[in-house]
Amino acid sequence: MKKITQLVALLCIGAFTIAALGCGNSQNASSKTPSKVMIEYWHVNAESFGGPSVKQLVEQFNKENPDIEVVEKYNPDMYKGLTQNLQAAMASGKNPDVVQMGYSYLNYAGENLKYASIPDIITKLSPEDNTYLQDNFLPNVLALATTDDGKQIGLPYSVSVPVLYYNPDVFKQAGLDPNQPPRTWQQVTQYAKTIKEKTGIMGFFMQEYADNWAQQALIESNGGQILAKKDGRTMAGFDTPEASEAYQVLADMVKNGDGLHATNEEAFQAFLSGKIGMVCTTIGKRDNFEKSAKFTVMATQFPSFEGKTRKLPAGGNLLMIFSQDPDKQKAAWRFVKFLESPGALALWSKGTGYLPPRKGVTEDPQGLKDFAEQNKNMQVAMSQMPEVVKWASFPGANGLQAEQALIDVRDIILSGKQSAADALKQAAAKINSML
Amino acid sequence: MNRFTWQSALFLAPATITLLLFAYWPLLQDVWLSFHSWNMVSPTMKFVGLQNYLQLLSSDELIKILLNTVLYILVLVCVNFILPYLLSFIIAHRLNRFSFFYRSALFIPSTVSLAVASILFLWILNPLAGPLNIILSAIGLESPRWFKESGLVIIIIGLIIGWKVFGYNLILLAAAMVDVPKELIEAARLENVSNWQLFRRIIVPMTSSTALYVFVITVVFGLQYVLVPVNMLTQGGPDQGSTNLVYIVYQYGFVFFQTGKASAFAILTMLIYALFLIVKTKVLDKKVHYEN
Repeated sequence: MKKITQLVALLCIGAFTIAALGCGNSQNASSKTPSKVMIEYWHVNAESFGGPSVKQLVEQFNKENPDIEVVEKYNPDMYKGLTQNLQAAMASGKNPDVVQMGYSYLNYAGENLKYASIPDIITKLSPEDNTYLQDNFLPNVLALATTDDGKQIGLPYSVSVPVLYYNPDVFKQAGLDPNQPPRTWQQVTQYAKTIKEKTGIMGFFMQEYADNWAQQALIESNGGQILAKKDGRTMAGFDTPEASEAYQVLADMVKNGDGLHATNEEAFQAFLSGKIGMVCTTIGKRDNFEKSAKFTVMATQFPSFEGKTRKLPAGGNLLMIFSQDPDKQKAAWRFVKFLESPGALALWSKGTGYLPPRKGVTEDPQGLKDFAEQNKNMQVAMSQMPEVVKWASFPGANGLQAEQALIDVRDIILSGKQSAADALKQAAAKINSML
Repeated sequence: MNRFTWQSALFLAPATITLLLFAYWPLLQDVWLSFHSWNMVSPTMKFVGLQNYLQLLSSDELIKILLNTVLYILVLVCVNFILPYLLSFIIAHRLNRFSFFYRSALFIPSTVSLAVASILFLWILNPLAGPLNIILSAIGLESPRWFKESGLVIIIIGLIIGWKVFGYNLILLAAAMVDVPKELIEAARLENVSNWQLFRRIIVPMTSSTALYVFVITVVFGLQYVLVPVNMLTQGGPDQGSTNLVYIVYQYGFVFFQTGKASAFAILTMLIYALFLIVKTKVLDKKVHYEN
């Protein structure tokens, strides 16, 4: 018995010694020869949502830059999930280096997360890139990654706009011309009705993700707004006739049975198997839709309200850097520049359907020139770029809870429990008491 | 008998230390957190006293959450306690053949993860393209929007949890049923006792200790299982129609990043669980027959 104890003790000591030696060795090695800088890249791209493109880009970068090793990490549940993981990681002191951050989290991230400012990194570590931002990005696009207090917290990376997808086979079945898709919301209502009456197929669905992005496009294109500034304070701005009128269009379609109110996944499944005529969602789903559907998916511009300017919130994400160590910051900046290069952006756009944020990618033969000419759905989305506005995000510590209140209201309105006007008024009061 | 020895303390130590470290210490921390306002990242935590509790108790959502929780319990007890109880009786005492087949077939779903079961149900219940809708429309019915109707959504999520829990509970109860002495049952048969009398007078009392255990885990674990399908399928919607005491803790903590309020909800949840267990010990335990 005693012998065994001694043996175990000996083995333990041995293991510790080896471990200690191992540590010493690796430290020595890193100080002598410049070892690889490891950086982590966090993204939200599942296999069906650009995941393979992320892997391809990271692989390409690692091959071209032997001194840097990028490790990509997928975060489920979109930007909400990513932000949760990010906060948890930072609380335990292990932050990633490059992160995709949703535009709707812009102000929240600026106020609450300890990020490394890209303009600062450029001035300190990479002065040759001094004019990079101005040279390559339009001012209104750069503004997508600028917080309300004017800080450039990252670089716009993926830009998506809502479009109206439709199933041309269903259109033909209903006696509608697939080359004459609806242009206004009035027409969408009519088309949805015709489809339902003639074919029995559901007419229309607007995305119901855990955010209010598409609904913002609807409200703001009718002259309403999500946020309003009153006496320097940001308040809920959607308790107006314009906003409720726009929302009511949606509610009426659901009430008449021409529109669908269901979870996002259910509706997309149904659309892809030919059970819905029109779906209003992000251009980011283009590639997935085109590949998974049994019919030719067609897209048209987000419908407008008669005589009013369209305002489409930019969905997608910006790239933020969270590295604290200068070596890692420099590596992270190089990786960001790679992701923002025309070739990489072209690959990214093809794989996801996101629009490139940078000037000239669509004209660049190395970029998207051929692709844009071939893919009509992509052209439709790009033609909407001048109408892009910021995605509204509620400020302050209760911002995310306020967003949830607006999501809850969507269920109330679409289930027909209350009229859009009443429900939005109540939600605005609730949100204002939170902010 | 009650002599304290170092050996016994030593043997108890690993379990005790783990329990203290991973169950009671976090509990104390949770109490401490519930008096603060903190978003998990900010270096400063603001002490707010009882404010989190006051806000929680005065909010409109509390009633809805408690009501939903009660509804969940009702559904879970039906699906995962009463139903397997009756079925296990049939399998153990009324079936002469194939009982092994039924036991295995009914147990297999509990090896599937809740996430998989959730996705499976999402597909089956798809109101336009799912197989259930095809059956419903064949007999001229329109499929409801399962995950968008308050009330209905709770029943559906209860059924999804049933996938995970039903089979396991069934096996536990069947084991207890088999343990009922055959002589008793045969004696009863000779007296020409009806099935109902047999069930009521012999089976129920003889299996009461296992049944009580299954009842308790159905409620306590069942409510916790709710988190996975709710988070995957509804995020508490429609309009908080599928949220409950457990999901709301997650939502405040990890969706809104308001750890103070999340902790306050967690404490409330714990108090309600504690109340449930007190009732169980004081009232139900007395009616239970323990063999040893």
